[in-house]
Amino acid sequence: MTAGGAMKPILLRARGEDKSRSISTYLRMGGYGALKKALIMDPAGVRKEVKDSGLRGRGGAGFPTGVKWGFVPQDLPKPKYLICNADESEPGTFKDRAIIHTDPHMLIEGIIISSYAIDAHVAYIYIRGEFWEEARILEKAIAEARRKGYLGTNILRTGFDLEIHVHRGAGAYICGEETALIESIEGKRGQPRLKPPFPAVVGVFGCPTVVNNVETLACVPHIIEHGAAWFAAIGRNERNSGPKLYGISGHVRRPGVYELPMGVTFRELIYEHAGGIREGHELKAFIPGGSSCPVLPADFVDIPADFDSVAEAGSMFGSGGLIVMDDSVDMVWALENLMTFYSHESCGQCTPCREGSDWALDILRRIRRGYGRPEDLETLERISRYASQGMTICPLGDAFCGPISSFLKHFRNEFEDYIAKAKPLPPRTTPVLPVRSGRGRFGI
Amino acid sequence: MVTVTIDGHEVQVAEGVNLVEAARAAGVEIPTYCYHPGLRVVGQCRVCFVEVEGMPRLVTACSTPVKDGMVVNTASDRVREARQAVLEFLLANHPLDCPVCDQAGECYLQDYSVEFGTDSTHMVDDRRRFPGRERNELGPHVIQNQNRCIHCTRCIRFTQEISETWDLTMKSRGNHAYIGTFDGEPLDNPWSACVADVCPVGALTVKEFRFRARVWHLDETPSVCPGCSVGCTIDIGHLEGIVHRFTPRENPEINGWWMCDFGRFLAEDLNGRDFEVPRLRGERGLQDTGWQEAMAALTELAEVGSPLRVVASANATNEALYLAKRLFLDRPGAEVVVPVHRGEEHRVKNAQRQWVAGADEHPNSTGARLMGFTTVDTEGLEAFLRGGRGPILILDGGAHPWLLSQEAARAVTGQKVAVAARKASPLTGAAYLVLPLASWIETEGTLTSSTGRVQLARRGLFPRGQAKPAWEILALAGRQLGVEVPTPLTPRTFFEAMAAEVPPFAAMTWRRLATEPGIPVLEEVAHVG
Amino acid sequence: MSLARTQPLTIAPPEELLEVSFDDGMEEIIEEHLRHYPTRQAALLPVLWLCQERWGWLSAGVLRAVARRLELAPAFVEGVVTFYTMYQTAPPGKYLLQVCTTLSCALCGASGLLERLKEKLGIDPGETTPDGRFTLLGVQCLGACGEAPVIQVNNDYYTDMTTEKLDQLLDELP
Repeated sequence: MTAGGAMKPILLRARGEDKSRSISTYLRMGGYGALKKALIMDPAGVRKEVKDSGLRGRGGAGFPTGVKWGFVPQDLPKPKYLICNADESEPGTFKDRAIIHTDPHMLIEGIIISSYAIDAHVAYIYIRGEFWEEARILEKAIAEARRKGYLGTNILRTGFDLEIHVHRGAGAYICGEETALIESIEGKRGQPRLKPPFPAVVGVFGCPTVVNNVETLACVPHIIEHGAAWFAAIGRNERNSGPKLYGISGHVRRPGVYELPMGVTFRELIYEHAGGIREGHELKAFIPGGSSCPVLPADFVDIPADFDSVAEAGSMFGSGGLIVMDDSVDMVWALENLMTFYSHESCGQCTPCREGSDWALDILRRIRRGYGRPEDLETLERISRYASQGMTICPLGDAFCGPISSFLKHFRNEFEDYIAKAKPLPPRTTPVLPVRSGRGRFGI
Repeated sequence: MVTVTIDGHEVQVAEGVNLVEAARAAGVEIPTYCYHPGLRVVGQCRVCFVEVEGMPRLVTACSTPVKDGMVVNTASDRVREARQAVLEFLLANHPLDCPVCDQAGECYLQDYSVEFGTDSTHMVDDRRRFPGRERNELGPHVIQNQNRCIHCTRCIRFTQEISETWDLTMKSRGNHAYIGTFDGEPLDNPWSACVADVCPVGALTVKEFRFRARVWHLDETPSVCPGCSVGCTIDIGHLEGIVHRFTPRENPEINGWWMCDFGRFLAEDLNGRDFEVPRLRGERGLQDTGWQEAMAALTELAEVGSPLRVVASANATNEALYLAKRLFLDRPGAEVVVPVHRGEEHRVKNAQRQWVAGADEHPNSTGARLMGFTTVDTEGLEAFLRGGRGPILILDGGAHPWLLSQEAARAVTGQKVAVAARKASPLTGAAYLVLPLASWIETEGTLTSSTGRVQLARRGLFPRGQAKPAWEILALAGRQLGVEVPTPLTPRTFFEAMAAEVPPFAAMTWRRLATEPGIPVLEEVAHVG
Repeated sequence: MSLARTQPLTIAPPEELLEVSFDDGMEEIIEEHLRHYPTRQAALLPVLWLCQERWGWLSAGVLRAVARRLELAPAFVEGVVTFYTMYQTAPPGKYLLQVCTTLSCALCGASGLLERLKEKLGIDPGETTPDGRFTLLGVQCLGACGEAPVIQVNNDYYTDMTTEKLDQLLDELP
């Protein structure tokens, strides 16, 4: 495998195949072979294989999947649940949708093997409400798998039972947070829970629950089929193993999802795979892994795109959703755009996030309208300090504070330029409730 | 029990309590908004951050249970700065309309901002407003001003966990979320005003109390709700002789932190008074007179020869009932009943979230039974009044709702009736002697709830005019009738005499009652009636 | 080549949704959903989806019926419904034009699409055309950033949009 060179696709191997979603295509490519192999192993063996592979969660946090499974108490007389997190909503992230569109059976097989590994007999796929088509694709795949005996009771005559249900969300980014997702499955407002207890012990319906991302689960059949060592060998260092789906969007010539070994550099991603920056422009900045990850300026383009290297650079690898911005972008505008997203998506239960996200948005809007004040940048920094780092119940606080602090760190001059040209504050108008872009009767 | 150290104070607390309660036990106040000891912990407001040795991040005290040996710091710079930040966030969109806000003075946003916040804000942008929900009648008793809401969800949790009526919900989300009822239906459940009690700010206020008094002017008198036999522990808020409100006071065994609307809104009734001096029937009908003349007339009535029929009251204190027992029950020549009106069942949850239901609409029917009185219902009462030609003494003209009816007046036609009363009724119109009776807040004494707990209700106001409480009327009458009455004439004297004499009250002391939220009567008699 | 593949929504008028009941077909689906979960409450989101597919939006009457069916408090149901942006609590147009406005789409020209729609339809985001045909919404990230800019019309994604494609789409919608 050469640096930056395309690898033989694993997760997207069916891309371009005729009728790639159908079970016959999947079976032709050796699908459900891993399931047969897993079901004659004992569950602990499956767990060990996944742990040894070094697979880290692909939803954004990068937590080792095998370790997460290990937190499920084995001796509790309660049902256990597996939840597949398909609530892909982080701006810049669209890889799970690609898996579902290309190869839904790979995900189904991953769910079955993972459920077997943690002794779950019901699994839910929580999919964002907007993914209506994708939910239908999954339901069709589940029905196919059921007809072939890969789902239902006594799967492949091994005595293992499993049902998978697709549960559609209804428009809330926060439901990608695993405890908000659990609340949403339980039929409640999607508000994250206080932790501890963690879902592995008290999850959905009060039972031990594992929540794994689509891409994470899609890796599982390959690990079982080819072994932990094979998986761990993919990728450029041992703590960041396996294939990775990189979603590249923004100002590149060929945006899309690319499957590459973990650890490819951002330069390779942007210039070799995504075709470089559009004509007449140059790279200005990029957000490495979904909008919550702190922005990095162009000088960081040579770092490897993996969990640890990006963390060293002061950002996060997140979900691998790379947003590329060229030199035409007004960074104050970009941050305002992101804060519009986060204040719209804050669930509102805890104070720093509810108040801080909206307050930061108000300040950014005012700066952009030409009424910024020098103190505003300090206030933004203060907000980003006190709405993150455990001040909030869930990571949404960190998710909007990372952008604030990183935009200010790397592009402070652009904010200062706005403020230098600013007019004095206009007299207070009668405050009115801003109308948000949203669906339905939002607000009041 | 585990030992924890809070700001250098070592304290022993029960296992499982959270750091807010542990700190309280150590005499340290940790600010809280969403935390309420009677409601589920949600950890949402984030103001109760503390530092725990060995934990890298600040933790919310409400959601952190104590562990043995825990060392907690609530006053470090980190904690102080975090609290300041949270308070600034909470105030960022708050209207700061304290001068026109009725919660001012008992608002935790004010208190904690002063104590733990900063004196300025970085907020210069327009504040959030909720047009149409700024003076919104949420229900018959509760007014909403959503602009002031800090999203603590205590009110919602109250309707889910305590009243179990599920009327309130958070609608929408994020910064625009607001409290509401389904489709704007009125918030109307038997405990609806409690949502204003739990509201730490001025977002929900009690309609009946709004703008009647600034709370820092208000005198609060510890008392017991007169509404039913549950006997919720309350404070009576009054100012310059006017009663303005009842609010529940924490009592784990009886009413937790709650009370029902029926009891709460009896407060206004305490302000009514028709009789300020005794009135005696003369040639020109009922005429004002003095207490000396009145007591002489009462004695005359009692000594007329034929048996005196006495209607005592389940609304009277234990001390008054004890005197009634000495005067009438323990001596020949009188028949006594206590009328009991079942009425509607009122109930409330205690701190263990068990329902405590009232047996009737009297605050001391249990005390009357423990004292040995016979209770009667409406029919029994009417039969009692019609069942003779002798004089009648009614200790409280409002002791039973039937006594306020025309039939009650007809039932005593032609009989000489002495009645102690605060308000005029057909019965007082027909009476021979009317004694001005002190109101609930003008009386001091103990009451026995249906759960068998004795509580002390304090006097908050001197009786208006020449009105006297029932115990005093009975003590004076006792002297006139030659019954030995312990001195000095105070409720405490009679309570101690009662405790010495009536077994269920044995070993109780006034001093304990003054400091404890009720003492249970002896177990074996706790469930009489 | 034809672009449009979206059918109009059926939107029940408010007066038909004051009181509703579930027909046998709906009941069958509700029963199926209930079998998927150990609690009734967990079927809330799917049942709300079912109602919205049937009637186009969720009136107070619909929420009351759902609450009754799932043994939940109506206020609780309303709290859930208003948390999520996709449940419509007022009758929308036959086509919900949902323009993604978040960063990747915005970098690729989403605001031009929104402006074009505002101009063409004469409405602002959040409004419905007087003929009840279109409701325009600016929405947050639709999760198809690699094909930005994206518009979702009812359930369907239209990707790599341009103003020309947008014009064509509007013309073609049945």
